[in-house]
Amino acid sequence: MRTKYVPAAIAFAVAAALTLTACGGSDDKAKSPVTDVSADTSNKAATVLDRPFTKPDFVLTDTQGKKFDFRERTKGRPTLIYFGYTHCPDVCPLTMSNIALAKRNLPKADQDKLQVVFVTTDPDRDTPESLGKWLKAQDPSFIGLTGDFPTIQAGARSIGIGIDPATKDDKGNVVSMHGAQVIAFSPKTDQGYVLYGDSTTAEDYTKDLPKIILGENP
Amino acid sequence: MNRRTTLASAIALTAGLALAGCSSDSSDGKPDLKVSQAFMPQPVSADMAGGFLVVKNDSKTADKLTKVTSDISDDVTIHETKSQKMQEVKSFDIPANGRLDLERGGSHIMFMGLKKKPKQGEKVSIELHFEKTGTVKVELPVKESTYNPKHH
Repeated sequence: MRTKYVPAAIAFAVAAALTLTACGGSDDKAKSPVTDVSADTSNKAATVLDRPFTKPDFVLTDTQGKKFDFRERTKGRPTLIYFGYTHCPDVCPLTMSNIALAKRNLPKADQDKLQVVFVTTDPDRDTPESLGKWLKAQDPSFIGLTGDFPTIQAGARSIGIGIDPATKDDKGNVVSMHGAQVIAFSPKTDQGYVLYGDSTTAEDYTKDLPKIILGENP
Repeated sequence: MNRRTTLASAIALTAGLALAGCSSDSSDGKPDLKVSQAFMPQPVSADMAGGFLVVKNDSKTADKLTKVTSDISDDVTIHETKSQKMQEVKSFDIPANGRLDLERGGSHIMFMGLKKKPKQGEKVSIELHFEKTGTVKVELPVKESTYNPKHH
């Protein structure tokens, strides 16, 4: 999987070198959106939190329709949590696919330790069944949780993730919202100590997960 | 910022589009649109998929992307993503001498209820409908689900 990127990367790099002389700087620079953070020079996906978060204290429903006590079930295990919804064409599946890809690169023993939890922000549409089907297509080991929106929202808020309930636009389409971050919980402290934004790549996760599994700083 | 611009130009060049992209003074009053970096990440299921591309306008006339259609779905809409919410929009502006970036994490084309799940290596044909330029056919190569040219 990873080697696939290499030829493309080289091709782009070569082309980039050529382009500099061919086109000079275009006026695109001025027109680029200010919100674009892809050229961040720090080049580090992970933010290690000075003040780690306590685990959300919520009991939700898993994709089998069974109760899932988040604190109890993830105790002492390296855990990633993400809040999203399945009617999401881009960021939610991208985030889960990136994590799935990174997880597959881990040694088997580490794969078994890591828990990846996806909590829906759209419990009206994401039933345990539909959530299960969606997650299974990405990685059968991923845990999908649903429940009352206020419970989910309060849990998300406790780890610094703001989500609004789904609303309807003027055409009657449901507008849902996904969380902006993935939070990693340490197996040593059970605290949420690392935060990943939604531009984190599969390579970033691949590099960091072995550390997360040990509860070390990436 | 700089790096990204270079990369974008680089991809355009590899696609053989940059030659025209370097001149920016067509002045016959018509938009001069070029589509590049088109792709669809392999979706999770046939329920929905996203499409991404860049439209460059090397002219002094602005245009608008008003609609996208495709054989693969009867429900294709254009969306912008703002503060982690995606919302359907009626059109996207393509400014004079500017560009429209439909890229991961941002604005995108959304396909609902696809006739079948597109698989990596396949191609999905779409038609972009522009206010002034009219209809432009584009093929979206289906890439791996994690594909994001922004990061390469």
